[in-house]
Amino acid sequence: MGQAAVVNDDALVVRVQDFVKRYRKRTAVEGVSLAIRRGEIYGLIGPDGAGKSSLMKAVAGVLAFEGGYIEIFGQTIDSEAAAERVKGRLGFMPQGLGLNLYPELSVEENIDFFAELREVPKAELQARKLRLLAMTRLEKFRDRAMKQLSGGMKQKLGLVCTLIHEPELIILDEPTTGVDPVSRRDFWAILTQLLRERGVTALVSTAYLDEAERFARMALLHGGRVLAEGTPEAILDEAPGSLVEFVAAPQMEALARLRARFANVEAVGGRIRVFVPDGQAQAALAEVRAQLDGLAVELATASIPSLEDAFIALLQRQRGENEEAPMVAGLKEDPPVGDGVAIEARGLVRDFDHFRAVDQVSFTVRQGEIFGLLGANGAGKTTVIKMLTGILPPTGGAGAVAGADMRHAGQAIKERIGYVSQAFSLYQDMTVRENLRLFARIYGVSRQNLDARIGRVVELARLGKVCNEIVGRLPMGIRQRLALASALVHGPRVLFLDEPTSGVDPIGRRRFWEILVHLARVEQVAILLTTHYMSEAEHCDHLALMYAGKVIADDTPQALKDALVREAGQVLDIAAEPVLPALEALEQTGLADAALFGRRIHVLAHDVTAATVRIRGILEGKGIRVEDIAPRAPTLEDVFVWRILERERAEVAR
Amino acid sequence: MNLRRILAVSYKEWREIVRDRLFLTLAFVVPAALMLVFGFGLTLDVEHLPFAVVDHDKSAASRDYLHRYIDSRYFDYRGDLESERDIARLLAASRIRLAIVIPPRFGERLAQGRAVAVQTLIDGTFPFRTSSSKGYVVAINSAYNGELLARYISDRMGVTLDAAMTMAQPVKVEMRYMFNQEIRSTWSIASVLVMFVLMITPPFLTALGVVREKENGSIYNIYASTVTRGEFLIGKLAPYVGISLLNFLILWLLATHLFGAPFKGDPLFFALASIIFVSCTTGIGLLVSLFVRTQVAAMMLTVVVTIVPSVLYSGLLVPIASMDPMGQFEAHLFPAMYYADIVLGSFLKGVGLDVLWGKALALALYAAVLWTASFLLFHKRPKA
Repeated sequence: MGQAAVVNDDALVVRVQDFVKRYRKRTAVEGVSLAIRRGEIYGLIGPDGAGKSSLMKAVAGVLAFEGGYIEIFGQTIDSEAAAERVKGRLGFMPQGLGLNLYPELSVEENIDFFAELREVPKAELQARKLRLLAMTRLEKFRDRAMKQLSGGMKQKLGLVCTLIHEPELIILDEPTTGVDPVSRRDFWAILTQLLRERGVTALVSTAYLDEAERFARMALLHGGRVLAEGTPEAILDEAPGSLVEFVAAPQMEALARLRARFANVEAVGGRIRVFVPDGQAQAALAEVRAQLDGLAVELATASIPSLEDAFIALLQRQRGENEEAPMVAGLKEDPPVGDGVAIEARGLVRDFDHFRAVDQVSFTVRQGEIFGLLGANGAGKTTVIKMLTGILPPTGGAGAVAGADMRHAGQAIKERIGYVSQAFSLYQDMTVRENLRLFARIYGVSRQNLDARIGRVVELARLGKVCNEIVGRLPMGIRQRLALASALVHGPRVLFLDEPTSGVDPIGRRRFWEILVHLARVEQVAILLTTHYMSEAEHCDHLALMYAGKVIADDTPQALKDALVREAGQVLDIAAEPVLPALEALEQTGLADAALFGRRIHVLAHDVTAATVRIRGILEGKGIRVEDIAPRAPTLEDVFVWRILERERAEVAR
Repeated sequence: MNLRRILAVSYKEWREIVRDRLFLTLAFVVPAALMLVFGFGLTLDVEHLPFAVVDHDKSAASRDYLHRYIDSRYFDYRGDLESERDIARLLAASRIRLAIVIPPRFGERLAQGRAVAVQTLIDGTFPFRTSSSKGYVVAINSAYNGELLARYISDRMGVTLDAAMTMAQPVKVEMRYMFNQEIRSTWSIASVLVMFVLMITPPFLTALGVVREKENGSIYNIYASTVTRGEFLIGKLAPYVGISLLNFLILWLLATHLFGAPFKGDPLFFALASIIFVSCTTGIGLLVSLFVRTQVAAMMLTVVVTIVPSVLYSGLLVPIASMDPMGQFEAHLFPAMYYADIVLGSFLKGVGLDVLWGKALALALYAAVLWTASFLLFHKRPKA
């Protein structure tokens, strides 16, 4: 095979056929087939429990399986001995940020261990180490113990360790989960560069659907089966339709009407998104307008749906359902009490030993508002929540929750709020109803009110069908709704949610959000939640971006995006072939923030016309065919990345 | 076998152990601490039993009789009681372990040559102590009886008291204690504790060390790499064997210098046998680690498989010979017993390879079986 055309080389590196993996009696993966070509980045996308890790471990030869067939570099992996034969050409990074590294060892010692284990020749090791450390910008931290690195640095070190023996195929299990968006971009840039330089093939899994555009081809996994496979375009084609977005008033009325007609409707902040199957843009718009006759509809647009929409549509088609009745509106008992301030944080500070986990955090959440704290693992989100809920005393600053002072009225706060923790503190061996009764009693709901309260939250969280089931046997999405119901059973006016949707599938996430929107809009509950899903942050009315313990931006999602466009310019979406040389050409001519998104390149530019002309000139000058250059609405990820880089630049300047 | 990969694994492991303060403490402080705690605390000699008396006679004879208890080092006299009613209360409160009741007219009846019953109440909650106490009481009492008899003979036959003694007790027991002349239990305990600590700590360290990698997920580095099973196991365990040998030296010094136990045997043989034993117990830890997933489970399982045999089936508390056949069989299944024999033989008896080779061989066999089983059970491509 010619080395020049690595990317287009059709030689198969991995072939998986009817793969089955069982853990005792539970089937984790059922009949998955896929093929990975030399030099491509292949994605496995799906929620927790979809079977991604099992499949990746089996491909890496570190997990035996029960059925089917796996072939790597033409070697059938059917025994431990067979797996050993290809391990020299593989690199595997298991799930969990830095968990496979050795916390007590320094960055360099970690790398050296992997190199020694893989018998990298001493002469080459030095050069490779230098190159990889430079690429990941870890040179400065060579002697630092791994346990003292940030999440993004751990992940990059993990990548260096996986690459030190120059494998031909790397298998990375959720490398970007819980990492801040800048590190994520960095990570993708490094991976792309490697692919370009060495023709490395990569199998990468992710739980973020918005990362799907980074892959050349991918498989959407759900419940151990492949829902769709191929290029992003091919997957979108499997669930044809249009996405209609608009602002309508009153929002709840519009949602109720649309849900009667369409399976896939959601409120994202002030906007409503509807997936109209099989519709061309204009037809879809007309169909939606017809449903909303008599309501004020503004800013309606129709566009190509996202992969997440396609995923949900495919899942719904597979299940053949829209099983649950639409949300019953108007559940409220007592009318909401105005729109006063529900949560207020003023200059919150929290130190752990010599480490400042939260630094001068201030924000305000009003009654009926959904407020999002957005940031990577370790940015200080959970610490903020713990201080506001009275679990953790602050080192400095003040705060009030539901009218009670955080420092003196811990007990009063706990009675007035609902709290859903990261781990959903449910009792696994009890039924849904028993859990709800327990939480109701703990929060002091009186006996007379008990049944009425439970009935109300069961209806709200749509748990009617599973009331008498044991919690441990329920799927993640239902457990998450139960955790929410348990936090609501005493009728709190303020709700705290700590990463409530981690690991839940997109349909589950969407249902969960329907409930949250109802709570905020109809019942005027104030909701504060944390998340590291950028796409989820779009649902919030108001956002605070947290980075290294500080709030670096605080506004509505739209205002944040507008500010980005004002300060940094528009996002230009470039489609060019071949894409990798195109990226290189742009980087060389000073467009340093050019980033690869799947087969497309993104660049920030103030003057769209001038930039378009300039880019076209650069690319065509190199003999690269430009298919399209168009401005695109920025995402929150673009905003977050820009804000963090801006802060870093300011620190360097100082 | 590739030496470079083995060294890589060992070196990594060693540095992790040295830099992890908690683990380092566990590795070096805990074994010595166990030795000290048990060495000073676990004495099997029953002495200084607190006791009280109720003397209804208060004659010269009763005082003479009681002084035999009061003056003995096995008993601690805690005073006279007014009546028997107080005894129960003091026994229940563990203030005394034993009470002696002298009936009225004790001296008078003895002088008349009539039998007298002296009531003795003993705390029976702890059988080992009870039977020792009973032994002491019976011995003191029979010595007193012998004396009475001798005095009677001397009075009636007009011989000296010494001659009368010989006539009253014609057969005498001539006793000589071998190996531990002063039958000091600290000597034997200090030496057996070397076995006890080496039986418990290496499996703990090893099991924690291996399971820690499993729990963290760093074991996947090993699974996914080209290092072979054997290379990994040797490399991973070498530091633990090393640490345990260092501990062995520390324990040996503590036993001989702090507890004053004599070492009469062949140091070279003892060192070699100890290396075999440490490989054996490290192997136990390795085997345990292959069956569990979490460090907590590893600790629990290690406690069960190490402490039970080392306390119950090593001869530490109960001699193997006095166990029932089932117990003896079980004792032979565990390595603790063999090494306990080697330790006692080397420390106190001064014997070496010529006598103890069988035990050393049993340990070597044991180690070989453990390591082979671990090798066969360890997979780089597990089912779950």
